[in-house]
Amino acid sequence: MKECIRYLVLLPALFVAAILSGCTTTEIDEFRQGETGISGDGKIVILGRRQNNNYETEGSFVQCVARVVGSGKDGINVVPEREFLDAMFPFFEPRTAPMRTSHLRELMSIDVAREKIEEFGVEYIVWLDGLTERSEQAGSISCAIGPGGGGCFGFGTWQDDARFEAEIWDLNTLDVVGSISTDANGQSYMPALVVPIPLIARVEANACSGLGNQLKQFIKGDN
Amino acid sequence: MASRLGYGSTMYQSSNSAKTLRFQALLAAWLCLLCTACSVSTITLSGEYPAPLARKLPLTIGVYYPDELRNYAYVEIDDNSGKDQYIIQSGESQVQLFNTVLPALFQNVVLLDSLDQASQHSNIDAVFVPNIEEFQLGLPSKTKLKVYEIWLKYNMRLSKTNGDYIADWVMTAYGKSPDESFQSVDAGVKDAATVAMRDLAASFTLGFTSVPGVSDWLRENNYIP
Repeated sequence: MKECIRYLVLLPALFVAAILSGCTTTEIDEFRQGETGISGDGKIVILGRRQNNNYETEGSFVQCVARVVGSGKDGINVVPEREFLDAMFPFFEPRTAPMRTSHLRELMSIDVAREKIEEFGVEYIVWLDGLTERSEQAGSISCAIGPGGGGCFGFGTWQDDARFEAEIWDLNTLDVVGSISTDANGQSYMPALVVPIPLIARVEANACSGLGNQLKQFIKGDN
Repeated sequence: MASRLGYGSTMYQSSNSAKTLRFQALLAAWLCLLCTACSVSTITLSGEYPAPLARKLPLTIGVYYPDELRNYAYVEIDDNSGKDQYIIQSGESQVQLFNTVLPALFQNVVLLDSLDQASQHSNIDAVFVPNIEEFQLGLPSKTKLKVYEIWLKYNMRLSKTNGDYIADWVMTAYGKSPDESFQSVDAGVKDAATVAMRDLAASFTLGFTSVPGVSDWLRENNYIP
Protein backbone atom coordinates (compact mmCIF):
# COMPACT_ATOMS: atom_id res chain seq x y z
CA MET A 1 0.00 0.00 0.00
CA LYS A 2 2.80 2.36 0.99
CA GLU A 3 4.54 1.59 -2.30
CA CYS A 4 1.35 2.48 -4.23
CA ILE A 5 1.06 5.83 -2.44
CA ARG A 6 4.69 6.54 -3.17
CA TYR A 7 4.15 5.86 -6.88
CA LEU A 8 0.97 7.98 -6.90
CA VAL A 9 3.01 10.91 -5.59
CA LEU A 10 6.05 10.25 -7.74
CA LEU A 11 4.34 9.76 -11.11
CA PRO A 12 2.66 13.19 -11.36
CA ALA A 13 5.87 14.79 -10.10
CA LEU A 14 7.89 13.02 -12.81
CA PHE A 15 5.26 13.93 -15.41
CA VAL A 16 5.41 17.62 -14.48
CA ALA A 17 9.20 17.43 -14.40
CA ALA A 18 9.29 15.87 -17.86
CA ILE A 19 7.00 18.55 -19.28
CA LEU A 20 8.82 21.42 -17.64
CA SER A 21 12.30 20.17 -18.36
CA GLY A 22 11.31 19.65 -21.99
CA CYS A 23 10.70 23.38 -22.52
CA THR A 24 13.62 23.87 -24.87
CA THR A 25 13.51 25.17 -28.41
CA THR A 26 16.36 24.50 -30.80
CA GLU A 27 16.88 26.18 -34.14
CA ILE A 28 19.49 24.94 -36.61
CA ASP A 29 20.61 26.81 -39.73
CA GLU A 30 22.85 25.35 -42.39
CA PHE A 31 24.80 27.20 -45.04
CA ARG A 32 26.48 25.11 -47.71
CA GLN A 33 29.26 26.48 -49.87
CA GLY A 34 30.69 23.35 -51.40
CA GLU A 35 30.26 19.65 -52.03
CA THR A 36 31.11 17.27 -49.20
CA GLY A 37 31.56 13.56 -48.70
CA ILE A 38 33.84 11.34 -46.67
CA SER A 39 35.56 8.05 -47.41
CA GLY A 40 34.90 5.00 -45.22
CA ASP A 41 38.03 5.36 -43.14
CA GLY A 42 38.16 9.15 -43.46
CA LYS A 43 38.40 11.16 -40.28
CA ILE A 44 37.41 14.59 -39.09
CA VAL A 45 38.53 16.65 -36.13
CA ILE A 46 36.28 18.99 -34.14
CA LEU A 47 38.11 21.87 -32.48
CA GLY A 48 36.85 24.59 -30.13
CA ARG A 49 37.69 28.22 -30.85
CA ARG A 50 39.48 29.76 -27.87
CA GLN A 51 40.49 33.16 -29.19
CA ASN A 52 37.71 35.27 -27.70
CA ASN A 53 38.61 37.48 -24.74
CA ASN A 54 35.51 36.96 -22.62
CA TYR A 55 34.76 33.32 -23.18
CA GLU A 56 36.03 30.18 -24.78
CA THR A 57 34.16 27.31 -26.32
CA GLU A 58 33.85 24.71 -23.58
CA GLY A 59 35.82 21.52 -24.05
CA SER A 60 32.85 19.52 -22.75
CA PHE A 61 30.64 20.87 -25.58
CA VAL A 62 33.26 19.99 -28.17
CA GLN A 63 33.49 16.48 -26.73
CA CYS A 64 29.70 16.17 -26.75
CA VAL A 65 29.41 17.12 -30.45
CA ALA A 66 32.27 14.74 -31.28
CA ARG A 67 30.43 11.95 -29.45
CA VAL A 68 27.20 12.60 -31.40
CA VAL A 69 29.03 12.76 -34.76
CA GLY A 70 30.93 9.56 -33.97
CA SER A 71 27.97 7.55 -32.71
CA GLY A 72 25.42 5.43 -34.53
CA LYS A 73 25.65 3.24 -37.62
CA ASP A 74 26.36 6.29 -39.77
CA GLY A 75 28.97 7.62 -37.32
CA ILE A 76 32.09 9.35 -38.64
CA ASN A 77 35.58 8.74 -37.22
CA VAL A 78 36.43 11.73 -35.06
CA VAL A 79 39.97 12.36 -33.85
CA PRO A 80 39.83 13.45 -30.19
CA GLU A 81 40.50 17.17 -29.86
CA ARG A 82 43.24 16.84 -27.21
CA GLU A 83 45.08 14.15 -29.16
CA PHE A 84 45.04 16.31 -32.30
CA LEU A 85 46.13 19.49 -30.48
CA ASP A 86 49.02 17.72 -28.76
CA ALA A 87 50.18 16.00 -31.93
CA MET A 88 49.93 19.23 -33.96
CA PHE A 89 51.54 21.37 -31.25
CA PRO A 90 52.32 24.32 -31.67
CA PHE A 91 50.16 24.96 -34.76
CA PHE A 92 46.65 24.86 -33.26
CA GLU A 93 47.14 26.80 -30.02
CA PRO A 94 44.83 29.79 -29.33
CA ARG A 95 47.42 32.27 -30.64
CA THR A 96 48.72 30.21 -33.56
CA ALA A 97 45.65 28.39 -34.87
CA PRO A 98 44.56 29.28 -38.40
CA MET A 99 41.65 31.72 -38.28
CA ARG A 100 40.94 31.71 -42.00
CA THR A 101 41.52 29.24 -44.79
CA SER A 102 44.31 31.46 -46.13
CA HIS A 103 46.14 30.70 -42.87
CA LEU A 104 45.37 27.02 -43.35
CA ARG A 105 47.06 27.16 -46.78
CA GLU A 106 50.13 28.72 -45.14
CA LEU A 107 50.08 26.00 -42.49
CA MET A 108 49.87 23.25 -45.09
CA SER A 109 52.98 24.64 -46.77
CA ILE A 110 54.96 23.69 -43.64
CA ASP A 111 56.24 20.15 -44.17
CA VAL A 112 56.01 18.89 -40.59
CA ALA A 113 52.45 20.17 -40.16
CA ARG A 114 51.18 18.80 -43.48
CA GLU A 115 52.81 15.41 -42.90
CA LYS A 116 51.22 15.11 -39.44
CA ILE A 117 47.74 16.00 -40.75
CA GLU A 118 48.14 13.46 -43.54
CA GLU A 119 49.28 10.89 -40.98
CA PHE A 120 46.02 11.42 -39.08
CA GLY A 121 43.99 10.99 -42.26
CA VAL A 122 41.85 14.01 -41.39
CA GLU A 123 39.64 15.18 -44.27
CA TYR A 124 37.70 17.94 -42.52
CA ILE A 125 38.36 20.36 -39.69
CA VAL A 126 35.27 21.60 -37.86
CA TRP A 127 35.67 24.77 -35.81
CA LEU A 128 33.13 25.19 -33.03
CA ASP A 129 32.58 28.63 -31.56
CA GLY A 130 30.00 29.72 -29.03
CA LEU A 131 28.80 29.65 -25.48
CA THR A 132 25.81 29.16 -23.24
CA GLU A 133 24.59 32.28 -21.48
CA ARG A 134 22.27 32.48 -18.49
CA SER A 135 19.75 35.29 -18.25
CA GLU A 136 16.39 36.30 -16.77
CA GLN A 137 17.23 34.89 -13.36
CA ALA A 138 14.40 35.46 -10.92
CA GLY A 139 13.12 34.27 -7.54
CA SER A 140 14.94 33.21 -4.45
CA ILE A 141 15.38 30.11 -2.35
CA SER A 142 16.30 30.21 1.29
CA CYS A 143 17.50 27.22 3.24
CA ALA A 144 17.76 26.82 6.98
CA ILE A 145 19.12 24.17 9.28
CA GLY A 146 18.37 23.68 12.97
CA PRO A 147 18.55 21.05 15.69
CA GLY A 148 15.27 19.51 14.49
CA GLY A 149 16.35 19.30 10.84
CA GLY A 150 16.55 21.56 7.85
CA GLY A 151 14.85 22.53 4.64
CA CYS A 152 14.51 24.97 1.81
CA PHE A 153 11.64 27.15 0.66
CA GLY A 154 11.24 29.33 -2.38
CA PHE A 155 11.26 29.34 -6.15
CA GLY A 156 13.95 30.12 -8.69
CA THR A 157 13.87 30.36 -12.45
CA TRP A 158 16.35 31.23 -15.19
CA GLN A 159 16.80 31.04 -18.93
CA ASP A 160 19.73 29.44 -20.72
CA ASP A 161 20.63 30.38 -24.27
CA ALA A 162 23.16 28.26 -26.14
CA ARG A 163 24.51 29.70 -29.39
CA PHE A 164 27.12 27.77 -31.30
CA GLU A 165 28.44 27.86 -34.83
CA ALA A 166 30.37 25.17 -36.64
CA GLU A 167 32.51 26.10 -39.63
CA ILE A 168 33.65 23.22 -41.79
CA TRP A 169 36.99 23.32 -43.63
CA ASP A 170 37.81 20.84 -46.34
CA LEU A 171 41.45 19.78 -46.14
CA ASN A 172 41.52 18.64 -49.77
CA THR A 173 40.40 21.93 -51.27
CA LEU A 174 41.68 23.99 -48.29
CA ASP A 175 38.45 25.96 -48.37
CA VAL A 176 35.32 26.50 -46.30
CA VAL A 177 32.55 24.15 -47.38
CA GLY A 178 29.83 25.44 -45.10
CA SER A 179 28.66 26.36 -41.66
CA ILE A 180 25.97 25.21 -39.29
CA SER A 181 24.63 27.34 -36.47
CA THR A 182 22.42 26.34 -33.61
CA ASP A 183 20.46 28.44 -31.16
CA ALA A 184 18.80 26.60 -28.29
CA ASN A 185 17.06 28.22 -25.38
CA GLY A 186 15.00 27.02 -22.50
CA GLN A 187 13.60 27.98 -19.14
CA SER A 188 14.66 26.11 -16.00
CA TYR A 189 12.73 26.06 -12.73
CA MET A 190 13.72 25.22 -9.19
CA PRO A 191 10.79 25.02 -6.76
CA ALA A 192 11.83 24.25 -3.20
CA LEU A 193 9.42 22.90 -0.65
CA VAL A 194 11.67 21.41 2.01
CA VAL A 195 13.73 19.82 -0.78
CA PRO A 196 14.72 21.78 -3.92
CA ILE A 197 13.42 20.10 -7.09
CA PRO A 198 15.56 21.09 -10.07
CA LEU A 199 13.63 21.10 -13.37
CA ILE A 200 16.50 21.88 -15.68
CA ALA A 201 16.05 22.64 -19.36
CA ARG A 202 18.69 20.62 -21.21
CA VAL A 203 19.64 23.51 -23.46
CA GLU A 204 23.28 22.72 -24.14
CA ALA A 205 22.57 19.00 -24.53
CA ASN A 206 19.88 19.76 -27.13
CA ALA A 207 22.18 22.19 -28.95
CA CYS A 208 24.86 19.49 -28.94
CA SER A 209 22.70 16.70 -30.32
CA GLY A 210 21.05 19.00 -32.91
CA LEU A 211 24.36 20.35 -34.14
CA GLY A 212 26.09 16.96 -34.03
CA ASN A 213 23.42 15.18 -36.11
CA GLN A 214 23.24 18.00 -38.65
CA LEU A 215 27.04 18.04 -38.92
CA LYS A 216 27.11 14.30 -39.55
CA GLN A 217 24.63 14.63 -42.43
CA PHE A 218 26.42 17.68 -43.80
CA ILE A 219 29.82 16.01 -43.99
CA LYS A 220 28.42 12.82 -45.47
CA GLY A 221 26.72 14.98 -48.09
CA ASP A 222 23.29 13.54 -47.27
CA ASN A 223 21.46 16.86 -47.62
CA MET B 1 23.06 4.75 49.91
CA ALA B 2 26.54 6.12 49.91
CA SER B 3 27.51 3.76 47.16
CA ARG B 4 24.42 4.74 45.17
CA LEU B 5 25.27 8.39 45.59
CA GLY B 6 28.79 7.63 44.62
CA TYR B 7 27.59 5.79 41.54
CA GLY B 8 25.29 8.63 40.58
CA SER B 9 28.07 11.12 41.09
CA THR B 10 30.36 9.11 38.78
CA MET B 11 27.64 9.01 36.13
CA TYR B 12 27.20 12.74 36.42
CA GLN B 13 30.96 13.29 36.10
CA SER B 14 31.19 10.97 33.15
CA SER B 15 28.30 12.70 31.36
CA ASN B 16 29.87 16.05 32.19
CA SER B 17 33.25 15.04 30.80
CA ALA B 18 31.58 13.67 27.64
CA LYS B 19 29.90 17.03 27.15
CA THR B 20 33.23 18.81 27.71
CA LEU B 21 34.89 16.49 25.20
CA ARG B 22 32.15 17.13 22.63
CA PHE B 23 32.46 20.86 23.21
CA GLN B 24 36.24 20.67 22.81
CA ALA B 25 35.88 18.68 19.60
CA LEU B 26 33.40 21.21 18.21
CA LEU B 27 35.67 24.07 19.21
CA ALA B 28 38.66 22.37 17.59
CA ALA B 29 36.67 21.76 14.38
CA TRP B 30 35.50 25.37 14.34
CA LEU B 31 39.04 26.63 14.90
CA CYS B 32 40.32 24.35 12.13
CA LEU B 33 37.66 25.73 9.78
CA LEU B 34 38.60 29.27 10.76
CA CYS B 35 42.29 28.57 10.20
CA THR B 36 41.61 26.97 6.81
CA ALA B 37 39.56 29.98 5.76
CA CYS B 38 42.35 32.37 6.74
CA SER B 39 45.38 30.38 5.70
CA VAL B 40 47.30 30.89 2.48
CA SER B 41 46.75 28.29 -0.20
CA THR B 42 49.76 26.95 -2.11
CA ILE B 43 49.25 25.88 -5.70
CA THR B 44 52.10 23.96 -7.29
CA LEU B 45 51.91 24.03 -11.07
CA SER B 46 52.65 20.86 -12.90
CA GLY B 47 51.78 19.59 -16.29
CA GLU B 48 52.90 17.57 -19.21
CA TYR B 49 53.66 19.48 -22.36
CA PRO B 50 53.81 18.01 -25.83
CA ALA B 51 57.04 18.21 -27.79
CA PRO B 52 56.58 20.74 -30.60
CA LEU B 53 56.58 19.74 -34.25
CA ALA B 54 59.67 21.39 -35.67
CA ARG B 55 62.64 20.80 -37.89
CA LYS B 56 65.63 20.60 -35.53
CA LEU B 57 68.31 23.24 -35.90
CA PRO B 58 71.80 21.73 -36.26
CA LEU B 59 72.98 23.24 -33.00
CA THR B 60 74.24 22.07 -29.64
CA ILE B 61 72.74 24.37 -27.06
CA GLY B 62 73.81 24.64 -23.45
CA VAL B 63 70.92 25.61 -21.22
CA TYR B 64 71.22 27.14 -17.79
CA TYR B 65 68.18 27.59 -15.54
CA PRO B 66 68.85 30.33 -12.96
CA ASP B 67 67.68 29.74 -9.39
CA GLU B 68 65.12 32.56 -9.79
CA LEU B 69 63.41 30.49 -12.49
CA ARG B 70 63.80 27.14 -10.74
CA ASN B 71 62.31 28.44 -7.48
CA TYR B 72 59.88 31.01 -8.85
CA ALA B 73 56.76 31.53 -6.75
CA TYR B 74 54.09 34.16 -7.31
CA VAL B 75 52.14 35.48 -4.33
CA GLU B 76 48.58 36.73 -4.84
CA ILE B 77 47.49 39.19 -2.15
CA ASP B 78 43.98 39.26 -0.74
CA ASP B 79 42.53 42.71 -1.56
CA ASN B 80 40.51 42.86 1.65
CA SER B 81 42.96 41.63 4.27
CA GLY B 82 46.20 42.57 2.49
CA LYS B 83 47.56 39.13 3.40
CA ASP B 84 48.89 36.38 1.14
CA GLN B 85 45.98 34.55 -0.46
CA TYR B 86 47.63 32.17 -2.92
CA ILE B 87 51.22 31.14 -3.49
CA ILE B 88 51.72 29.75 -6.97
CA GLN B 89 54.90 27.73 -7.35
CA SER B 90 55.74 27.48 -11.02
CA GLY B 91 59.53 26.92 -11.15
CA GLU B 92 59.48 23.17 -11.63
CA SER B 93 56.80 23.39 -14.28
CA GLN B 94 58.75 25.98 -16.28
CA VAL B 95 61.92 23.89 -16.23
CA GLN B 96 59.85 20.91 -17.37
CA LEU B 97 58.47 22.97 -20.26
CA PHE B 98 61.90 24.06 -21.51
CA ASN B 99 63.22 20.52 -21.09
CA THR B 100 60.48 19.37 -23.49
CA VAL B 101 60.72 22.20 -26.01
CA LEU B 102 64.49 22.61 -26.41
CA PRO B 103 65.31 19.00 -27.45
CA ALA B 104 62.62 19.27 -30.12
CA LEU B 105 64.12 22.47 -31.49
CA PHE B 106 67.86 21.77 -31.30
CA GLN B 107 69.97 18.79 -32.33
CA ASN B 108 71.61 18.52 -28.90
CA VAL B 109 70.85 20.10 -25.54
CA VAL B 110 73.33 20.16 -22.66
CA LEU B 111 72.05 21.06 -19.19
CA LEU B 112 74.47 23.32 -17.35
CA ASP B 113 74.71 23.67 -13.56
CA SER B 114 76.45 27.02 -13.93
CA LEU B 115 77.30 29.43 -16.73
CA ASP B 116 81.01 28.73 -16.20
CA GLN B 117 80.47 25.12 -17.22
CA ALA B 118 79.75 26.20 -20.82
CA SER B 119 83.42 26.76 -21.61
CA GLN B 120 84.19 23.17 -20.53
CA HIS B 121 82.03 21.78 -23.34
CA SER B 122 83.81 22.39 -26.62
CA ASN B 123 80.85 21.23 -28.71
CA ILE B 124 78.38 23.81 -27.37
CA ASP B 125 77.45 26.42 -29.99
CA ALA B 126 75.53 28.79 -27.74
CA VAL B 127 74.19 29.11 -24.21
CA PHE B 128 70.51 29.75 -23.62
CA VAL B 129 69.28 31.28 -20.33
CA PRO B 130 65.53 31.73 -19.82
CA ASN B 131 64.25 33.76 -16.90
CA ILE B 132 60.84 34.87 -15.71
CA GLU B 133 60.30 38.59 -15.18
CA GLU B 134 56.62 38.88 -14.41
CA PHE B 135 53.66 36.71 -13.47
CA GLN B 136 50.11 38.01 -13.27
CA LEU B 137 46.99 36.21 -12.19
CA GLY B 138 43.36 37.08 -12.93
CA LEU B 139 40.86 35.35 -10.67
CA PRO B 140 37.15 35.39 -11.62
CA SER B 141 36.34 36.61 -8.09
CA LYS B 142 38.41 39.74 -8.75
CA THR B 143 38.06 40.39 -12.49
CA LYS B 144 34.34 39.45 -12.59
CA LEU B 145 35.05 37.58 -15.83
CA LYS B 146 34.14 33.93 -16.16
CA VAL B 147 37.72 32.91 -16.80
CA TYR B 148 40.95 32.32 -14.89
CA GLU B 149 43.77 34.20 -16.58
CA ILE B 150 47.56 34.07 -16.36
CA TRP B 151 50.08 36.41 -17.99
CA LEU B 152 53.77 35.58 -18.11
CA LYS B 153 56.70 37.73 -19.14
CA TYR B 154 60.08 36.13 -19.81
CA ASN B 155 63.52 37.34 -20.61
CA MET B 156 65.44 35.05 -22.92
CA ARG B 157 69.16 35.33 -23.42
CA LEU B 158 71.37 33.62 -25.96
CA SER B 159 75.13 34.04 -25.67
CA LYS B 160 78.33 32.49 -26.95
CA THR B 161 80.23 30.05 -24.71
CA ASN B 162 82.67 32.80 -23.75
CA GLY B 163 79.75 34.91 -22.54
CA ASP B 164 79.57 37.22 -25.57
CA TYR B 165 76.10 38.49 -26.34
CA ILE B 166 74.09 37.04 -29.24
CA ALA B 167 70.55 38.11 -28.39
CA ASP B 168 68.40 39.19 -25.48
CA TRP B 169 64.64 39.33 -26.00
CA VAL B 170 61.36 39.49 -24.11
CA MET B 171 58.54 37.00 -24.59
CA THR B 172 55.03 37.18 -23.20
CA ALA B 173 52.50 34.40 -22.83
CA TYR B 174 48.82 34.31 -21.94
CA GLY B 175 46.50 31.55 -20.86
CA LYS B 176 42.91 31.36 -19.75
CA SER B 177 40.51 28.66 -18.68
CA PRO B 178 36.74 28.90 -18.17
CA ASP B 179 35.40 29.17 -14.63
CA GLU B 180 33.24 26.06 -14.56
CA SER B 181 30.66 25.17 -11.91
CA PHE B 182 32.03 23.45 -8.81
CA GLN B 183 35.60 23.94 -10.06
CA SER B 184 38.25 24.70 -7.45
CA VAL B 185 40.51 27.75 -7.74
CA ASP B 186 43.42 25.32 -7.74
CA ALA B 187 42.14 23.54 -10.87
CA GLY B 188 41.24 26.80 -12.63
CA VAL B 189 44.69 28.31 -12.03
CA LYS B 190 46.45 25.11 -13.13
CA ASP B 191 44.43 24.93 -16.36
CA ALA B 192 45.12 28.59 -17.20
CA ALA B 193 48.82 28.11 -16.41
CA THR B 194 49.03 25.08 -18.71
CA VAL B 195 47.51 27.14 -21.55
CA ALA B 196 49.95 30.00 -20.84
CA MET B 197 52.94 27.66 -20.80
CA ARG B 198 51.83 26.10 -24.09
CA ASP B 199 51.43 29.59 -25.50
CA LEU B 200 55.00 30.40 -24.49
CA ALA B 201 56.30 27.17 -26.00
CA ALA B 202 54.37 27.82 -29.23
CA SER B 203 55.69 31.37 -29.60
CA PHE B 204 59.23 30.26 -28.77
CA THR B 205 59.19 27.39 -31.25
CA LEU B 206 57.68 29.36 -34.11
CA GLY B 207 59.52 32.59 -33.43
CA PHE B 208 63.03 31.55 -32.36
CA THR B 209 64.68 31.88 -35.76
CA SER B 210 62.99 35.25 -36.34
CA VAL B 211 64.37 36.96 -33.22
CA PRO B 212 66.60 39.72 -34.73
CA GLY B 213 69.90 38.88 -33.00
CA VAL B 214 69.34 35.13 -33.23
CA SER B 215 68.39 35.27 -36.90
CA ASP B 216 71.57 37.21 -37.78
CA TRP B 217 73.76 34.83 -35.81
CA LEU B 218 72.16 31.74 -37.37
CA ARG B 219 72.70 33.14 -40.89
CA GLU B 220 76.26 34.26 -40.18
CA ASN B 221 77.11 30.73 -39.06
CA ASN B 222 75.12 29.07 -41.88
CA TYR B 223 72.78 27.25 -39.53
CA ILE B 224 69.83 28.45 -41.62
CA PRO B 225 69.77 29.53 -45.27
